[in-house]
Amino acid sequence: MQYCRVSSVAEAVDELTRWGAEGRVLAGGTDVMPRFLQGEQVPAALIDIGGIEGLQGISEVGGVTSIGALVTMRRLATASLIALRHPALSQAAAAVGAWQTQTVATLGGNICSAASTADTLPALLVAGAQLTLVSKSGRRRIGLEEFLEGPGTTALRPTELLRAVELEPLGERSAEGYLKVARRSSMDVAVVGLALRLHVSPSGVIDGVRIAMCGGDRSAHRVPAAESVLLGTQLSDESGAFTEARAALADAVGPGDSVESQYRRRVLPGLFGRLAGRCSAEISGVVA
Amino acid sequence: MSALGTSPDRSDADAKLRGQAVFGADLSRTGMLWASLARSPAAAGQIRAIDPIPALRVDGVLEIVTAADVPDWRTGVIVSDTPMLAADYVAYEGEPVAIVVAESRAAAEAGARSVAIDIEPVEPVSTPEQALAPGSRLVHPDWNRFAVAGGADIGRNGNVVAEVIHDPGDLDEAFAAADFVVEGTYRTPRQYQAHLEPKMALATYESGRFTIEVSHQYPFRLRDRVAQILGVAPSAVRVVGHHIGGGFGSKLDVSLEAFAALLAQRYRRPVRMQHTALEERLVAPCRANAITAVRSAVRRDGTILATDVEIVSDSGAYANNGPALSSIPMFVFGSIYRVGTARIRTRNVYTNTAPTGAYRGVNGPWLVFANERHMDAVADTLGRDRREFRLASLAQDGDLMRNGQPLEQVSILREAFERVNELAGWRDAGAGELRGVGQAAAVWLTNPMPGHATVKLNEDGTATVITSATENGSGAVATGLRQIAAEALGMATERVTVTMPDTDATGYDAGSQGSRTTHVVGRAIADASVEVRSHVLERASQMLEAAAEDLVITDGVVSVAGVPTASVTLGQIAQAATWSEGPIAAGASYVTPTPPHDPMCATGMLIKGWPTPTYHLHQAEVSVDPVTGQVTVDRYVVCQEVGRAIHPDAITGQIQGGVAQGLGFALSERVDLDHGRYVQRNFKAHGLPLAADVPKVEAIVMEHADPAGPFGAKGAAEPPVVPVAAAIANAVADAIGAPVDSLPITPEAVLDALERAQ
Repeated sequence: MQYCRVSSVAEAVDELTRWGAEGRVLAGGTDVMPRFLQGEQVPAALIDIGGIEGLQGISEVGGVTSIGALVTMRRLATASLIALRHPALSQAAAAVGAWQTQTVATLGGNICSAASTADTLPALLVAGAQLTLVSKSGRRRIGLEEFLEGPGTTALRPTELLRAVELEPLGERSAEGYLKVARRSSMDVAVVGLALRLHVSPSGVIDGVRIAMCGGDRSAHRVPAAESVLLGTQLSDESGAFTEARAALADAVGPGDSVESQYRRRVLPGLFGRLAGRCSAEISGVVA
Repeated sequence: MSALGTSPDRSDADAKLRGQAVFGADLSRTGMLWASLARSPAAAGQIRAIDPIPALRVDGVLEIVTAADVPDWRTGVIVSDTPMLAADYVAYEGEPVAIVVAESRAAAEAGARSVAIDIEPVEPVSTPEQALAPGSRLVHPDWNRFAVAGGADIGRNGNVVAEVIHDPGDLDEAFAAADFVVEGTYRTPRQYQAHLEPKMALATYESGRFTIEVSHQYPFRLRDRVAQILGVAPSAVRVVGHHIGGGFGSKLDVSLEAFAALLAQRYRRPVRMQHTALEERLVAPCRANAITAVRSAVRRDGTILATDVEIVSDSGAYANNGPALSSIPMFVFGSIYRVGTARIRTRNVYTNTAPTGAYRGVNGPWLVFANERHMDAVADTLGRDRREFRLASLAQDGDLMRNGQPLEQVSILREAFERVNELAGWRDAGAGELRGVGQAAAVWLTNPMPGHATVKLNEDGTATVITSATENGSGAVATGLRQIAAEALGMATERVTVTMPDTDATGYDAGSQGSRTTHVVGRAIADASVEVRSHVLERASQMLEAAAEDLVITDGVVSVAGVPTASVTLGQIAQAATWSEGPIAAGASYVTPTPPHDPMCATGMLIKGWPTPTYHLHQAEVSVDPVTGQVTVDRYVVCQEVGRAIHPDAITGQIQGGVAQGLGFALSERVDLDHGRYVQRNFKAHGLPLAADVPKVEAIVMEHADPAGPFGAKGAAEPPVVPVAAAIANAVADAIGAPVDSLPITPEAVLDALERAQ
């Protein structure tokens, strides 16, 4: 195996073009390295992008948050801008692995390895994440939903590099959050992770809602059935629509009969109730 | 200044912190071979064929050794039921079938994976219930041909490895007189020791003798077991101990050592072996899974008239220590609370699973779980406060344990209830939330088995203690024994060195088990030091021209009382003695006498008494998340009686660690079996508690000096694990208002119980 450390996006793209499907990008390494230990085929080339400074930024320009692919979980969990504009992402990043993993694991890695349990993905989905991919032939933008094709599979081509993620910041009269359930308090993947973003009109009607979850057999995904029952309802009407949304979430777990699926189905409704309660309390505080 | 009751640095701390300590798994020899075991992939079946060819094709593999090439007798600690290599049938997944000898570790392991073992599988006997079912297949068809050590009658019968029965015969009357009959069945899983350093061995053979270098808790047993397996005299085996990377009972018996020794003789080269992480897990002598059914006859006034206990524990495919451990229920029921007249039947049974064995607090965690869950159930039936009911039911000084042994100091438990109450109170849970509090008490033994120590005064005034006591992490050797020698000799702790174990060089030692090192070996050191001290004073008396009884020894200096200028150092004394009458050294032995008991109290009992008991009360406060079913231990208080605290920091460290292990057993660790095979096969699936899951344990250390102990010390390290699962389960049951009678208390189990309670 050849180890190539690159220092710019241009160099990275050159190496990716050279190696194609034989190459493998290394960022934080928290996913790539354990796979080798578990006996996965070692690639012909390991392209270490960890030193590319241009991929390390967090910025807010023109009402859009842009996060470089190499921003670590630890930075996401501690950056004030993220805590303010993207609390769900901040909470999700703080729920990844443990302090040591968060220190090296990157947002780009979490997106591109596309594990079904990736904590940041639901938080990114409720923020309407758009990805910028670069290759020799230029750049393209793609929505995260479209990018995620299944557990471990994405629309990323072997010659492409994820450069940055753009997010819609949380606006007025809105709130969001992420809750994770795992078997242990840290160093464990999500049995289920749930993100919710709510936006209400000045009169208290829910006019924007995004719900996304991870864990389970699918990639992280939105739950449109639960979103649609909430849209247009009164935020204060917690009994009716919220109860329906809870049921829709349990249905979203899918048909799996594994121990984890069964547990997920039991936990999700209550988890949603807890998250929705927090978000509406936060908004009500603002509205009132 | 006295060295006792202070917490000086461990002798091994610096080397362990800097990575300089040489553990067994670090050992290497020039020219050594590696060997690895090919193990049964099936839980049960007949061996049809073993094809070595695929393994021999692996580059570096020299030979595949099968049952035909090794001793064909069966051996064991108690029942000689275990073949060195399976010959005709396999009895558990992971049973050794062949040895692969190779020039490198990688080749040995690749070779072991490549041996083609053709097994005609049969449906395994996978649970104790199956083992006892009428007409069940026998795990060992020839069970009645296996020899039992000492010819003891331990009630063997088919799949029953051992049966202990205590039956005073008057239960029916008591049950007829009862106002309530309270019943419960308590189910507990296996627990895996999960030490970090895998089991290993390095064997050499020279001049007709085997030397085994190893990290092992009990070198003398290892010596005897290797000799038994190879059919040689124990004196032909020398075991040299190195730093141990965790054992918790898992490193008390033989594992790879006899294989390595056999090959060292065969090849006349050093042979090294070591478990892979998967092997560690597959063949670890886990804490046995068990089912404990308790039925009590209770009078309206709270008197328990009678208790009927029926226990089935899983020995796995071989007997190991199970027959001895089957005596332990006799020391739990009736030793803490008055339980009336009691019938206790314990059966230890064969299944087609990995043999179970010793894990810190053998049998205690699940027996105390059953005893204390049952106490809560009785209190609830009576409508009594659980703490108040416990206090009313506590055994009293002079009461007899079920073996007829008097409980001499059990009133210490009452003091423990008071001390815990002063610190943490009772029933301060927040209203309206799923919070609960639980208690569990235990009376635990200090292992009495023999030890020996030689104490020598060196010519520079330091002292060396020569013993095969093993430092298994607790600090018993690295601090405790050194402090005891220092105190007895009148020198600073830093000036005392303790040797590493070597069965050629020291007297017998029964190893690191049951908290025995400080008490038993410490006592031997204290006794030997008395003799050393009298030599010192005799010599000093001549040198200082003063009467021996006027001399004092302080900080390595002997002086005449009241005349500090008239003094001589221990080094000067040692030198003078060495070149006149000879070096100063003395040895002493100790074994705790068996307490008075009724030898006819039960059939099949191998452990007769409960020596040097210590007293324990644990209190857990938990909260339960109603959405996820997850349990958080918010506060944990331990009150533990230790005789005398030689090294307080080491004791509180052991308490913290024991609680962490008990918490894992209670809540998160999984060692599930499916048709005889372990389901969880790595640490990720296993679920050890992490630092964030374990609360800071608040420890109250109580001292009641034991006249037999060195400066009053009893054992302290083992028992903190014993009451933990019980205390946590009682707290969870309190929080959710529903019984919690099985472990582990998974989130699903909590949600199920909450649904049932609604």
